[in-house]
Amino acid sequence: MKKPIVFTSEREMPPMAVSLADMGHNRTGGWRYLRPIYLEKIAPCKNACPVGNDIPRILSLVSEGRYEDAWRLFRETSPLPGVCGRVCYHPCESFCNRKNFDEALSIAAIERFVADACFELEDKIPERPKRSEKIAVVGSGPAGLACAYFLAKDGYAVTVFEAASQPGGMLRLGIPSYRLPRDVLDREIELIAHWGVEFRTNTTIGHDLSIERLWEQHDAVFIATGAHRGRALNIPGEEFALQGLEFLKAVNAGQAVSVGTRVLIIGGGNTAMDCARTALRLGAQPLVVYRRMREEMPAIAEEVEEAEHEGVQFEFLAAPVAIRRLNGKLEVECIRMRLGEPDASGRRRPIPIPGSEFVLRADSVLKAVGEEPDLSFLSEHLETSEGIVIERAHGVLERAGIFIGGDAQTGPSTVAQAIRSGKEAAQAIKSFLRGERPPKPHKLEEALRINFHYFTHAPRVSTPQLPISERITNFVETKRAISGAQARAEASRCFSCGVCNNCDNCWVFCPDAAITHTNGTYRIDYDFCKGCGVCAEECPRNVISLVEEEL
Amino acid sequence: MRNFTLPERELMGSGHLGCQGCGGALAMRYVLKALGEKTIVVIPACCWTIIAGPFPYSSLKVPVLHTAFETAAVAASGVRAALDIQGDTETTVIAWAGDGGTFDIGLQSLSGAAERNENIIYICYDNEAYMNTGIQRSGATPLLAWTTTTPEKTPKSEPKKDIMGIMVAHRIPYAATATIAYPDDFIRKVQKAKSIYGTKFLHVLAPCPPGWRAPSEWAIKLSRLAVQARVFPLYEVEDGERYTLNAPQADEPALPVSEYLKLQGRFSHLTEKDIQTIQGIIDKRWQKLLKLVQS
Amino acid sequence: MTPILTGTKKVVTGNHAVSYGVMLARAQVISAYPITPQTQVVELLSEFCANGTLRAKFIKVESEHSAMAALIGAASAGARTFTATSAHGLALMHEMLHWAAGARLPIVMANINRAMGPPWSVWTDQNDSLSQRDVGWMQVYCESNQEVLDTVIQAYKVAEKVFMPAMLVLDAFVLSHTAEPVEIPDQALVDQYLPPYQPIYKLDVNDPHSFGALAPPDVYMELRYKMHRAMEDALAEWARADEEYHELFGRRYGLIEPYRTDDADLILVTSGTVTSTAREVIDELRAEGRRVGLLKIRVFRPFPAQFVREAVANARKVAVIDRNISFGMGGIFAQEIKAALYNACDRPPIFGFVAGLGGRDITPHVITEIIEYAESHDDPEDLIWVGVKR
Repeated sequence: MKKPIVFTSEREMPPMAVSLADMGHNRTGGWRYLRPIYLEKIAPCKNACPVGNDIPRILSLVSEGRYEDAWRLFRETSPLPGVCGRVCYHPCESFCNRKNFDEALSIAAIERFVADACFELEDKIPERPKRSEKIAVVGSGPAGLACAYFLAKDGYAVTVFEAASQPGGMLRLGIPSYRLPRDVLDREIELIAHWGVEFRTNTTIGHDLSIERLWEQHDAVFIATGAHRGRALNIPGEEFALQGLEFLKAVNAGQAVSVGTRVLIIGGGNTAMDCARTALRLGAQPLVVYRRMREEMPAIAEEVEEAEHEGVQFEFLAAPVAIRRLNGKLEVECIRMRLGEPDASGRRRPIPIPGSEFVLRADSVLKAVGEEPDLSFLSEHLETSEGIVIERAHGVLERAGIFIGGDAQTGPSTVAQAIRSGKEAAQAIKSFLRGERPPKPHKLEEALRINFHYFTHAPRVSTPQLPISERITNFVETKRAISGAQARAEASRCFSCGVCNNCDNCWVFCPDAAITHTNGTYRIDYDFCKGCGVCAEECPRNVISLVEEEL
Repeated sequence: MRNFTLPERELMGSGHLGCQGCGGALAMRYVLKALGEKTIVVIPACCWTIIAGPFPYSSLKVPVLHTAFETAAVAASGVRAALDIQGDTETTVIAWAGDGGTFDIGLQSLSGAAERNENIIYICYDNEAYMNTGIQRSGATPLLAWTTTTPEKTPKSEPKKDIMGIMVAHRIPYAATATIAYPDDFIRKVQKAKSIYGTKFLHVLAPCPPGWRAPSEWAIKLSRLAVQARVFPLYEVEDGERYTLNAPQADEPALPVSEYLKLQGRFSHLTEKDIQTIQGIIDKRWQKLLKLVQS
Repeated sequence: MTPILTGTKKVVTGNHAVSYGVMLARAQVISAYPITPQTQVVELLSEFCANGTLRAKFIKVESEHSAMAALIGAASAGARTFTATSAHGLALMHEMLHWAAGARLPIVMANINRAMGPPWSVWTDQNDSLSQRDVGWMQVYCESNQEVLDTVIQAYKVAEKVFMPAMLVLDAFVLSHTAEPVEIPDQALVDQYLPPYQPIYKLDVNDPHSFGALAPPDVYMELRYKMHRAMEDALAEWARADEEYHELFGRRYGLIEPYRTDDADLILVTSGTVTSTAREVIDELRAEGRRVGLLKIRVFRPFPAQFVREAVANARKVAVIDRNISFGMGGIFAQEIKAALYNACDRPPIFGFVAGLGGRDITPHVITEIIEYAESHDDPEDLIWVGVKR
C-alpha cells in the first residue's frame, strides 16, 4: 500500500476500526539522519600485502576446502605464492584484526599450503588476444618475474634477460634453500614460462647486449636487475672480509666454500641472518656482530629467532674498526657502542664508546651491511642531462619506454615489494603502450571495527619445524607444511574483515524489516529504514557504514 | 555464529511506528517469523498499540485484536475459545503485552489464564518501564533506575518483580526468557511454546533506546550484555519444575554488571556503591538460578 | 439431567429462563464470574455445557472485567457470546462495556438488577444498569420470566443485525429467583428465527485485519456517528424482530407497551417487575371509573422517544416510577421521558417518583399513592421520594 487511505464520507468507512491496508504508505525513511550503506572495506591484511593478495576471499575458499580456487585467486595478484608463502615477512599477519581478539591468522602458512597443494596443478591458460608489442625484462628476480607474468597474461610477448645461468635473481642467488627449496622456485618460474614468457639466461645486458640495442628491438624495457653490490665497511683490512651476498651466491650455486670454524658476520639484516645460518650449516660457529641491539635489527624477527635457536651467537653493540690477518687467522678489532637519540630511521643511533676497543678472532669475516643497485650498464645516452629520473609510483624512466623497478630502483627490499613493483611496472608499460595514463590506485577504507561477539576463540596454527638437530647439518627446508585440516581450520578463523560473507546479521537484526536479502545480496529499503544503526553495529566485519543524510 | 535459518516470511511490515532501534518491534518480527501466518495477536495497551499503526492500517500481516490494558491474557483466552468452538485448533493465539500490562495491571487476568491453563502463548516484551506513556516506573523497572516518576534524586528503590517466579509458580507447562540478541534461542523457544498445549509464557527483554537513554544502534548490544552480565539469564522452565539454562553458561566468566549499566543514561547517576549493590543482587539471583537448574 | 424438551412449558425462575434462552440461541462462548443474584444463570449454563446440551466453551474467569474481555476476544473471532452479571460485577465491567460497543460486537448479557454498595445490598434496583446508560449497549427491561427467555433470543437477533451489544435486565429475586410457567420454544423454530452469527469482519488468519487500533481525530467521530446510527436503526430492528418472533412463537412485547392509555388522563410509566403490579392497580382503578393508564418502557436503549411521545400525547399528566436515582437530579427514566417530550408540541406535566431502592417492595398500595399524588397535584414535581421515613 503506497498511498494513504482518505475517507471523504463516513459511508466509506467500515463500522468498526478495522484495518484495510498495511503501513506501506508511512515512509519512515524520513525519520533517518544516518544512512547505513553497504561499503565493503579493505581488510587490513590485504591492505598491508604489498602484492595485494585478496586474503579474505582466499581464506574463505580455503576454509571451504576449495584450494584450487584459492590458488587461482593467489595467482590473480602474484605469480609466486609458493615463494611468498615461505619467504615473505607477512605484514598481513601484523595487521590482522584477529590479533586484538586472540592471535593473528597464520596467513603465510596457508599461502604455502595452498601453493604446495596445487603444486602439480595444470595451469589452464585462457584464450587471450596476442599482442604484437614486444617487451624486454632485464633481470629475473621477483620484480622481473612479476612484470613478465602480468604482461604475458595480457598477451604481450615478453623476453626476460638473465645474466645468471638460471632465472630467479635474488630468490635463487641470495635466499638459502632451507628457506626456499629450489623445486618450488623452479615450478613457479616454469608456470610463468607456461604463460609464454621467454627466458634468455646467461645474457648480461651491457656486456652481451647493450641496453640501446635492447631498446631498439623492443617496444618497452623493464629494468629489474636488483641490488647486488655489497656495501663496504670502509675500515682498514676490509680486503680480508668477504661480501656476505657473494658467500651466499657461491653456496647457493653449489660451490664448495670453506669459511673455517669461527665466522664473524658483520651486520643485522636478512643477508646477515642468511649468512649466519648458512655458515652454521657448513659446520661453522657463526657470530653476528651488530652495532645496535636486537630490537633494532633490520632482519625479520622470525629469522633472528630461528638463527638464535639454531645456535648462532650475537655480539650486540659492537662495530668493527679494523681487520688484521695474524698467523692465518683474522683479528677483528671492534669498538663498543652505546645507543643515543633516534636517527632518521627511527632507530637509536649507535655511538662509539671511546677506549672500549676489543678484539674478536675468526677464521673468516663476512660483511653484510647492505647492498645497492649497480646500474653501470646503462649507457651514457640514458644517463645524460637529467640522468635517470624515476617516477616513484610506477618506475618509469624519463626516457619513454624504459622502466625500472624492484631493488634496482629502491635498493634492497623484500620479495613482496619487488613483486608489487614488477606488477606496477607491467601496468605502467601497458598504459604506456596504449598511450594512456596509468590508472590511479583507489584507496579503500580499512575495515577495523570488528564485532568480536560473533567470533569464538581459536588458537593460531603453529607451523611444524624440523628439529634443530636435523636442520643444522643440511639445507633441507626447516619449516614443514600444515595439513589440509589445519589449513581449513586456520582459514576459518578469518574474520573476513570488510567483506560481506552473507552472515545475515543485518537482515536478522533490522527492527524495521527494511533489509531484504536475495541470492546473497542485501538491499536496504531507504523508504523505511529509520537509520537506527543496528545493522552497522552488529555487522561482525565492518561492511556497513553509517553516513550522515544530506538534508 | 548462528546455526539456524531465520524464516524468510516477513509478517511484520515496514512503516511501523516503533522508535529507532525498537527492541519490541524486533521481538515481534521474530515471533511472527517463528509462528507463521496462522497466528492471531492480542495486544493490550502498550507501545505496540502505536507501533501496529492507526486505523485503518496495520503493520502486521496477521489478525490483531487491540484490547484494554489489563486484558491481554483473557482476551486471548476468548479468541482461543472462539477458534476452538469453530473447529480451528491450528491457529496460534498470542497475547503480546508490555511489562506494565504484565507485571502490573494485567497480572490478574494473566494469573487467571495461567491457572486455567488456557492454550495461548503469552509474550511479555519487557522494556522495563511505561515507555509508551513516557518512561514511568513499572514493576519491571530495575533497582535504582531513573524514570520520569523515579527521578535521579530518588531512583527506583525496589528491585524488579520476579515475573518468571510468579509464572513458574502457576506450574504452567512452559515458561522461558528470551531476548533479541539471541534470535536462534528466541525462535526456538517460540516454536517450542507453539508445540506445547496450555499456557506458555515468554519473558522477553526488549531494550528501549529512548527509555534506557542509549543510542539506538546499541539495542542488540544491550540485550546481549544483559545476558552476559547475568542481568537477564536465558532459561526455560517446564511444568514449573524442570529448569534449563541456555545462556550464559554456568562456567562462563561473568561480565561485570557495570559493563551493562554504564552504557545506559538511566543508570548514569549510580555510584560505585550502587553498582556493587546491584552486582550483589545479580550474583545472588544467579546462584539461586544455578541451584534450580542443578536440582 | 434429563434432555430438555423444547416446545413445552416448564416452571422456571427468571435466572433459569435466561439460561434456557442462551441455550436455545446456541451461544458458543460463555464467560462469567459468580455474583448474587446472577449465579444461577451460569450454574445452569455450566450444566448445559457439561452434559452437551449446549455446545459451548465456558471460560470461568477470575473477574467480571475478564468475563467481558474474554467475550470481546471470542466475539471478535466470530463466536456468539454470552455473560451474566449484576451490580458490582457490571460496574467492574464498565471499561469493557465501552470496548464491546466500540468494537461493534453483538455480545448479549443478562444483568440482574441489584443495588450498588456500600452498604452491601443484594436486592433489586436499577442503578447498576442505568449507570451504564452511555456505554453503547442496548438495554431491555423485562417484566416476566417468559419475556426474559424471549428477550434473550430477540436480543441476539437485533444485536447481530446492528452490531451493537445488548443487555437484558431483570429484577433481583422478584424475577431472578421467582419461578413461573415459561414456554420453552422449539429449538428448530429458534434456529429458523436466529441463524448463526455472520460477522462483517472477524479475526481470521485467511483475511487478516486489525481491530480497534488508534483512531486519529479525523476518523474517530465518524465511527461514533455510526454507532449512534446503529442504535437508531436498532429501534426498527427491535420492532421487526418482535414482529417476526410473534409470527413464529405467538408472543410479542413491543419497545414500549401502552396499557389502557387511549383515554387516560394520567399515565403511569414503569419498567421491570413493577409493571405487573401497576397493571393490577390500573385495572382496579379503571374498575372504579378512573381514567388512568400504564406505559411500560421495555427497550431503554435505544430510547423509543417517538413511541413514548405518541403514547402520552393525549394524557393530562404523566407519573414516572423510578427504581433508581441519579443523585442531585432525580429518577433516570423520568429524565429520559422529559427529554423525549421537551421538544414535542403537546407535552403533559411529568411527576417523577423514586421508589423501591435496594429491594424495598413497591406494593399496590404504594402505586395507588403515587397515582393519587399525581392526580391531586397540579404543578409537576421533578423528584418525589416515595416511602422515605422522614
